[in-house]
Amino acid sequence: MRLSPLVLLPPLLAAPLAAQQKVERRFAVAQDVSIRITNTAGVIRVIGWERDSIVVIGALAPGASFFGGGKGAFAKLGVERMDETVAGPGSTLEIRVPRGARVSVRSVTAGIEATGLTGELQATSVSGSIKAGGGLKLLMAETMDGDLEVGGPIEITRITGGRGTVTLRDTRGDVLATTVGGPITATGARITRAHLETVSGAITYEGGVDGRGTLEAVTHAGDVTLRLPAAIPAEFELQTFEGTIETTLFPKGNVQHQPRDGSPWTFATAGGGAQVTVRSFKGAIRVLKQ
Amino acid sequence: MTCAELRERLDAYASGTLPDREAAAFEAHLGRCAECVARLEAAAPRLEPMTTLPRAVAPAADLWPAIRSRLARRGAAGPGRIAVPGWWLAAAAALLIAVSSGVTALVLRRGGGGAPSVVPAFRPSVSLTTLEAQYSAASDDLTGALEKARARLAPETLAIIRRNLATIDSALAESRRALARDPANAALTQLVVAAWRQKLDFLRRATALSTAS
Repeated sequence: MRLSPLVLLPPLLAAPLAAQQKVERRFAVAQDVSIRITNTAGVIRVIGWERDSIVVIGALAPGASFFGGGKGAFAKLGVERMDETVAGPGSTLEIRVPRGARVSVRSVTAGIEATGLTGELQATSVSGSIKAGGGLKLLMAETMDGDLEVGGPIEITRITGGRGTVTLRDTRGDVLATTVGGPITATGARITRAHLETVSGAITYEGGVDGRGTLEAVTHAGDVTLRLPAAIPAEFELQTFEGTIETTLFPKGNVQHQPRDGSPWTFATAGGGAQVTVRSFKGAIRVLKQ
Repeated sequence: MTCAELRERLDAYASGTLPDREAAAFEAHLGRCAECVARLEAAAPRLEPMTTLPRAVAPAADLWPAIRSRLARRGAAGPGRIAVPGWWLAAAAALLIAVSSGVTALVLRRGGGGAPSVVPAFRPSVSLTTLEAQYSAASDDLTGALEKARARLAPETLAIIRRNLATIDSALAESRRALARDPANAALTQLVVAAWRQKLDFLRRATALSTAS
């Protein structure tokens, strides 16, 4: 359905609205539109749909104003408050966008949720949580204190966390996830290349690695647990300076290894193939049969 | 330089054959395009062989004993070069370039604060000592920029930044102490580099956040 051009081209001017006011806007855009969305506090929900238009439905916090506009290949929208450094109630934005859009979302404390997208999503927050569904070509998400959750296969995933948890489900493709203190958990994984890195958080990986794929886990103090298929063809290099290493991959059952001076323990299973590398300063390493 | 042009020049950049002007444009682009930084990181394993190519033909065998004894004397006098896998340094240098370019852009935009330290372009054979000096300079630049912008950040955000940095600094100090006890340990070197990388990346994010607020 095509909308009237007069409705489709709202000006890029802030429109102050009254307290708790509802907002509804529509823009006609290209299917691969680039969209920038900003909302410091509250919730930002982005939903991919089949239409070539953006529809925004929101509830604005007192003192907040909505801005937005765009057409064709670019659109920009969001919520502004007079003083962003003062905590206050948040605004809720629910935004429907073309599935193949390139979406950039920015918040301070607002939670970000995105589902139904097949293009690219870049989500940034200070302490808000970020949830993204599967199907994206590229996900770049970073938050300093919030939790990060990815709910399905994505071609390329780049995640940077802080102290919050990172949870990856049905992980596929090429994954780079780093945190400071937050744990990283990947389940149902079948990756081509993954680099998981924390300073003090634990890393847990459950799933397989493609034939010539690489899985790397690096921590300073966090423990690393890999649960892999019993017959995985892979070459392992496991290294910890002050922790212990344990594996149940061998037929003889649980084998424990106490490294001397942090020298790496290397071995291959099922003739080798994939590369699995774990490196930690003082975390314990466990490589277990699924 | 566009993203497509950067992709075409990845190999030349990694092998150190990109002309200086193009290398500068390459690095400037990395400083403003997180997607290309991610691409460079993803390509690091493929680029590794280029970073470890020999730079010169080995000298005749009879020259070696004299050179070795000179190197041994020099090694006893100060810190030597530590073997670190090329891709670690490639990733570390890429981040350093991105961070440094980001700081440059930040300072130029603000029009004040003095020029940040100039970080040389990626050199595959760089030693850890050199790399740490560059990391430290970049870290100081970012910390300074962050300090100037602290009035724009909420107290909760500042607390989050402090807590994360404390965790990273503690890990960095612990890894460096271990490396001081065993300076030739390549794996410990990698852990020190990883901690620096984490610190610079976190500072970069915090600084970007403060400028956007």
